[in-house]
Amino acid sequence: MPPRALLRAPRGFSAPAFLAYLAVILLVALVPQLSHKPLILHMWIMVFLAIAQGSAWNVVGGYAGQYSVGHAAYFGIGGYITMLLLEQHQVAPWYGIGLAVAGSLILSVIIGSITFRLRGPYFVLASIAMAEIIRLAALHFRDFTRGAEGILLSGIPPLTTPWFTVKFLGKVPFFYATLGLAVIVVSANWLVQHSKLGYTFQAIREDQDAAHSLGINPTLHKNLALMISAAFTASAGGLFALYVRFIDPNIAFGIDVSVQMVLICIIGGIGTILGPVVGSVVLVLLSETLRNPKWLVQAGVMSDESPTVNFIEAHLSNAHVLFYGVLVVVVVLFAPEGFLGLLRGATARLRKRLAARRGPPSRPAAAA
Amino acid sequence: MNVFFQSLLSGVLVGGVYALIGIGLTIIFGVMRVINFAHGDLLMLGMYVTWGLFTLFNIDPYLSLLITAPVLFLWGALLQKVFINRVLDALPQNQILLTIGLGLVMSNAVMLGFTSDYRILTTSYSSSSFRLFGLSVSEPLLFSFLVTVAITGALFWFLQTTDTGQAIRATAQDRDAAQLMGINVKRMSVLAFGLGTALAGIAGALLAPTYYIFPQVGGPFTLKAFVVVVLGGMGSVVGATLGGILIGVTESLSAVYVASGLKELVVYVLFLLILLFRPSGLLGKSRT
Amino acid sequence: MKKPMSRILSAVIASALALPGLAGAAPVKIGFINTITGAEAPIGETMTNGLDLALEDLKKQGLDLKVIRQDDTGKPDKAISAIEQLATGDEVTAVVGPYTSACANAVAKQAEQYGVSEVIPAASKEDITRQGYKWVFRVNAPAHVYARSLIDAALAFGKPKTVAFIYESTDFGSSLSKVGKEYAVSKGLKVVAEEAYQKGSPDYRSTLAKVKGQNPDLVFMVSYVADAILLMRQSRELGLKPQAFLGGGAGFDTSQFEGERDISTNVFSVTQWTPDSRPSAAAFAARYQARFGKRPTYHAACTYTSMMVVGAAVAKGGADRAKVREALATGSWQTIMGEVKFQAYDGFNNQNKVAMPVVQYQGGKSVTVYPPAVAKAKAVYPFPGWK
Repeated sequence: MPPRALLRAPRGFSAPAFLAYLAVILLVALVPQLSHKPLILHMWIMVFLAIAQGSAWNVVGGYAGQYSVGHAAYFGIGGYITMLLLEQHQVAPWYGIGLAVAGSLILSVIIGSITFRLRGPYFVLASIAMAEIIRLAALHFRDFTRGAEGILLSGIPPLTTPWFTVKFLGKVPFFYATLGLAVIVVSANWLVQHSKLGYTFQAIREDQDAAHSLGINPTLHKNLALMISAAFTASAGGLFALYVRFIDPNIAFGIDVSVQMVLICIIGGIGTILGPVVGSVVLVLLSETLRNPKWLVQAGVMSDESPTVNFIEAHLSNAHVLFYGVLVVVVVLFAPEGFLGLLRGATARLRKRLAARRGPPSRPAAAA
Repeated sequence: MNVFFQSLLSGVLVGGVYALIGIGLTIIFGVMRVINFAHGDLLMLGMYVTWGLFTLFNIDPYLSLLITAPVLFLWGALLQKVFINRVLDALPQNQILLTIGLGLVMSNAVMLGFTSDYRILTTSYSSSSFRLFGLSVSEPLLFSFLVTVAITGALFWFLQTTDTGQAIRATAQDRDAAQLMGINVKRMSVLAFGLGTALAGIAGALLAPTYYIFPQVGGPFTLKAFVVVVLGGMGSVVGATLGGILIGVTESLSAVYVASGLKELVVYVLFLLILLFRPSGLLGKSRT
Repeated sequence: MKKPMSRILSAVIASALALPGLAGAAPVKIGFINTITGAEAPIGETMTNGLDLALEDLKKQGLDLKVIRQDDTGKPDKAISAIEQLATGDEVTAVVGPYTSACANAVAKQAEQYGVSEVIPAASKEDITRQGYKWVFRVNAPAHVYARSLIDAALAFGKPKTVAFIYESTDFGSSLSKVGKEYAVSKGLKVVAEEAYQKGSPDYRSTLAKVKGQNPDLVFMVSYVADAILLMRQSRELGLKPQAFLGGGAGFDTSQFEGERDISTNVFSVTQWTPDSRPSAAAFAARYQARFGKRPTYHAACTYTSMMVVGAAVAKGGADRAKVREALATGSWQTIMGEVKFQAYDGFNNQNKVAMPVVQYQGGKSVTVYPPAVAKAKAVYPFPGWK
């Protein structure tokens, strides 16, 4: 797998990159065949959900440059619609998530029509306010949402098709469902980056007024970006709720859900296809390692007696959120373009050095 | 009717504290255009300093303002110099994230140092009140309101008449122009962040005798401060004061006439309406 | 010298330990999922303290357990990750925790699937033990018991006609007030106000003024740790004076609330456990106070009890998960919470029946006043007014 092909922002379709992408998906899809350890599968699921959320946010935040800190609204509405339909009306979740997506599209049009009148910090604050309004309403109107008590899932009906039946027991169905969603959202990011629609998003990001004078309708296109983003975010919310089997207004609509989505993109690399993927892997693995270093033992990376594991367990397990905070500060200060930016910088330097070494062939000979 | 006036009164008094938090944020926002998501955590630090002084040295929370304010000022100035200063020209989302990160570090460091126990400051006046025209007036709340009024007045005077104050205002209006006029913009930023932090700390100290203290106490106040600032208009001290009181009253009255569980929701709706129909805030001028 | 509590427990465990073969084996692994960081951390800390005291006692009785701790940060997805690590990575024999209802429920599903006993110390959501799970046990009483005990007590003391509910918008507050309202209506009380509030607001005066305007006979409050103090301080300011203030556990059952004599005097509360209920409970409270410098909350006592019960089950069943489950399902134990026995009743399964005593703060101390069988003092009713 040539790393350059993946790291370089491709300008269009490139066969090697596409093949590498397919190969990675196939390799990852084999994971449940190789490891049955539930914790490992759980962490993969968390990573996939994070990728789906981060990449979904990336469409409106990264490409269109609208830094919404209120995406919990779509995540939550996805979870709530799916769960309410399933628990109260016995609507199977594969239809439920479809309706959840429809609901999130309507919601995004409403929120977009209000918040996109504003720019910069005002937009950020308005997006937070919208998510908070929904959270507070979900807490208050308990006849409809069951309020703070939340919704407990009693069970998921099996999915029966003429060819096969899927029972939603254990991790494997969720592994493939979340992997599928992550692949779809990442592919959608690729399409956004390379389509005419995506170019308009990026034009708005770079200079909204200039884009406007070029005949792009900024309000329309910002709303389109938000709708795409909301639909994927809602799907992730639906899957999350089904997987955790419980949802309440704070889990679904809390501000930390919104912040997490922004963090994933910034830590990975905002406005790039691979950024949210890298960000999700880094964030999920790091927070899990600090909270429970023993997953490394399960993954076979380290032994049970490893001093690192014991050190983290003894000294850092109460401070994992502190380290999370430190990581955020360090990334913003020293790697403002995220891990992907760091990697790119490093490969560029490496290439330069290699080229320099290869460049004047006489020098090593002369030295010898 | 009694219920109405009682709610109005407590709304105004509580609004005073919201105003103080908002003024701190508005100065930071005005001068640096940085949305400070760690503002509530700075308030939390102010509360812990007050609590420490009270439990260790038995210093009255209101008296401890004289120590809390300068301590927080220095802390804020330090934060600005070491961290915020580096992202002044960065993308807005990076600024937001930096302050979120700093907030997480502060609240979790306090948690490790002092455990996550709730701390209650009990003073002789924590629940005392007197009656006025049939309404009950909370003594600590009235006192903190008066302190707020005094500080707002002093701050207004400072910003309007002193050279440093005018330099801060000039920086808030146009950073580049201020620089060209020979104003030390970096120093003004440090001053503004220190001032904003000190005000958050004072608000924390004023809340301490009637509220409770724990490491995560700041979160809701951060959001409230944003609303206050936008309502009042960016960088406007008087606007933030009015915004704070307006929010206090809105919360109080909507708890009675809408529903207690919806009072925050009503505030956010008001916030959005103001953003849409009077985007410069109640007293703001320019907002580019 | 032995303390009375450990004497009772050691009798239970000594008999179980009569089985040879346990000595010399590797320590049995027990998982403990708790909220160590996040908004619920203050309660989590008291639970850790309770567990630590239980481990000391078990060790004294010759039972060496290895407890593996996991932080769920109060979020169910983290709790799932924790139970997975414990059940399949560390392969623990049983799990104690987690604290919050959302987490406890998420863990319950997994515990059932992996066949690991989960002993829940203090999560109050009714549904957790109503799903027919075989491997899930709960030591504390679910939400409806809180509400019934308080309203029964008030009806026994006087003749209230109306009641107002003020509760925080959390799972605990919302479910408690819901069952409370149903029960109050069934007892012929009229609900005159029902106010939910968001925690984290410094001002509840307008809500209280509104409630005062309705002039209720009973004010039933459900609130988290420190809001209870805030609500009572502001009630005093406004001169709210019903026949009785009923506090639904949690924030009304802390040492800090007890210490605030100005506002706590004559307030009723309900609790899973009181130090004055039996000698072993008093000894536990004294020991806790000496060690941690504060009064134990019922969360600490419930966690202590849960761990002792698990210890007793391990003493009987060793490291074998099925045998430990069997021991939990069939055993009964004398503990600081009285007799613990997991039973099936009223749709609950593996639920310990706790009769929750009602206490009143009198002279800066909480004293049990109801039910009469365990009462230590006469209740002051109606509320005589503020000093």
